Amino acid sequence: MLPLEHLQTAMARSVLAMDPTIAARLLTAGKADPLARLRIYQNNTRGSLTAVLMAVFPVTVRLVDERFFRYAASEFIRRHPPTESRLARYGAGFPRFLKSTDTLSDMPIVAETARLEWAIAEALDAPSSQPRSLAEYDSTELGPSPDILLQPSLRLIISHWSILSIWTAHQHDGPVDRNSAWTRRPERVALWRSGDNVRLALLDRASLAFWHSLKHGLGFERATGRALALDPAFDLVSALMRLFGDGLVTNVRVAANSLSNIWRQS
Amino acid sequence: MSNMFSPLAIPASGGIGLRSPHIAEMLTRRPSAGWLEVHAENYMGDGAGVQALERLRQTYPLSVHGVGLSLGSAQGLDRDHLERLRKVCERFEPDLVSEHLAWSIADGAYLNDLLPLRYDEEALAIVSRNVETVQNALKRRVLIENLSAYLAFADSSMNEAEFLAALVARTGCGLLLDVNNVQVSAHNLQYDAKAFIDALPAEAVGEIHLASHATNQVGTDTVLIDDHGSRVPPVVWALYQHAIDRLGPRPTLIEWDTDVPVLDVLLGEAMWADMLTASIMFNRKQAARREQTTEARATPIRLSIEGETTTSMPVLAAFAAARAARPSISLALPPLEETYHAAA
Repeated sequence: MLPLEHLQTAMARSVLAMDPTIAARLLTAGKADPLARLRIYQNNTRGSLTAVLMAVFPVTVRLVDERFFRYAASEFIRRHPPTESRLARYGAGFPRFLKSTDTLSDMPIVAETARLEWAIAEALDAPSSQPRSLAEYDSTELGPSPDILLQPSLRLIISHWSILSIWTAHQHDGPVDRNSAWTRRPERVALWRSGDNVRLALLDRASLAFWHSLKHGLGFERATGRALALDPAFDLVSALMRLFGDGLVTNVRVAANSLSNIWRQS
Repeated sequence: MSNMFSPLAIPASGGIGLRSPHIAEMLTRRPSAGWLEVHAENYMGDGAGVQALERLRQTYPLSVHGVGLSLGSAQGLDRDHLERLRKVCERFEPDLVSEHLAWSIADGAYLNDLLPLRYDEEALAIVSRNVETVQNALKRRVLIENLSAYLAFADSSMNEAEFLAALVARTGCGLLLDVNNVQVSAHNLQYDAKAFIDALPAEAVGEIHLASHATNQVGTDTVLIDDHGSRVPPVVWALYQHAIDRLGPRPTLIEWDTDVPVLDVLLGEAMWADMLTASIMFNRKQAARREQTTEARATPIRLSIEGETTTSMPVLAAFAAARAARPSISLALPPLEETYHAAA
């Protein structure tokens, strides 16, 4: 008799491969054909995981047609099944999988849009901290280069394609003018969770550098330097007001590694 | 994060599974739903649904129902997932925690389905070890749910009910009796559904699930599919009646996972469960009184009536059913797609 672990491995491969590699004599189903019953588990796994992907990538579904999406999802599930039961994390590799799919090689916009949709799914599952207002720091000495902490759900995406335009055009039912939407035009997208929705915004190069630097903890001074290097006319005051206005700032504090801090400690 | 809520005990009456399309309405209307059950895996992140549940937990007794722990995996438990479950329990302080007698993980893959075990001593040792690990981690008893199955393993040396009884004896766990699962498995694998219920240790059953199934015809094979997509069918109500007759009132959950209807339909189903239980208990009391009267001259025999538990008629659930007739409720719901996406 097979040890249980071997039996479960054989069963799992049969369920995922859509091919009954498990010996029929090991199974029973009353008077029914056990291999026919095995197909129920195959369908359940494929169907439920496809539904998970369709919920995360609704615009991608519309871009490629549902039948093709189901086919692609089925292949993805077979080759890259989830490795854990927390399905909110399942689908991270799907945009890359679409990018490597031969059929879609002349439609890079599909994988790029999927990348945006995955970022939205990530943001929706991320924590949302209490936003701070600029006025809260009126009487706080923050030093020359404070750390500005942004919402943990903030995601920044750069694409060679107009992914936000496409995503926006597909938010409502009805036909989409593909000629105007599918253009090779770089778009820099910021998105973050606001309650149970996601807010999305287009950024210019300097603003993206500013947000990106702050998000990765480089501090106010270096973030400003990077933005100004890309655009000498970068309006720092407006950029700061926008961050606070959009509820993106969760804390402002004296930089942990600032010189003044080091002197104070010594 | 712990000790944030006052303890709210789950009553021996009807509750509903909280589904994302209903969250907004639950928050604004706060209907009388005896208690709520959520899938643990939906609350392991930090999305808006988590914050909503924290608010609902202040009002409703809560049960946390895991679907992804894979207690039957021979390769052992995913410790990271168990830690996430522990944190969910720490965060929401549920009154009940449950999981399934099944496996979903093997060969490094999570199948997103609940697969049956080969019921034998080897599996019993594995599941017992896993259940003990979970109970130690959560520092509480967990309820283990029977499975809906489409096939079984030829080399099983015991049936599922015997396996569950042995698991209770070994680990001290409780049981979650899913009556629809009993009906589905009994039909598909051709055994007696009532005998299955009768074989379970009654005192261990801490919760009951009610749901629906679909009937599929594949060639000459009529197979019941556990789909949770419609009202509880009469055959499941009949089996529930048998279960309550044997067990007495138990916390009873209406599960609905596909084609989720408006909230009031779920509340109405929970109300039916309460009414049926109340009716059974009333009839038992009447029968006991009659017996006492007719045997008044004989030595009185005190009949056990399940601790004289009364299942109060859920007045607000009746209101809920009345509201179900008003079309305006469904129109007041937020767009389903948006809410679903947000909580996915």
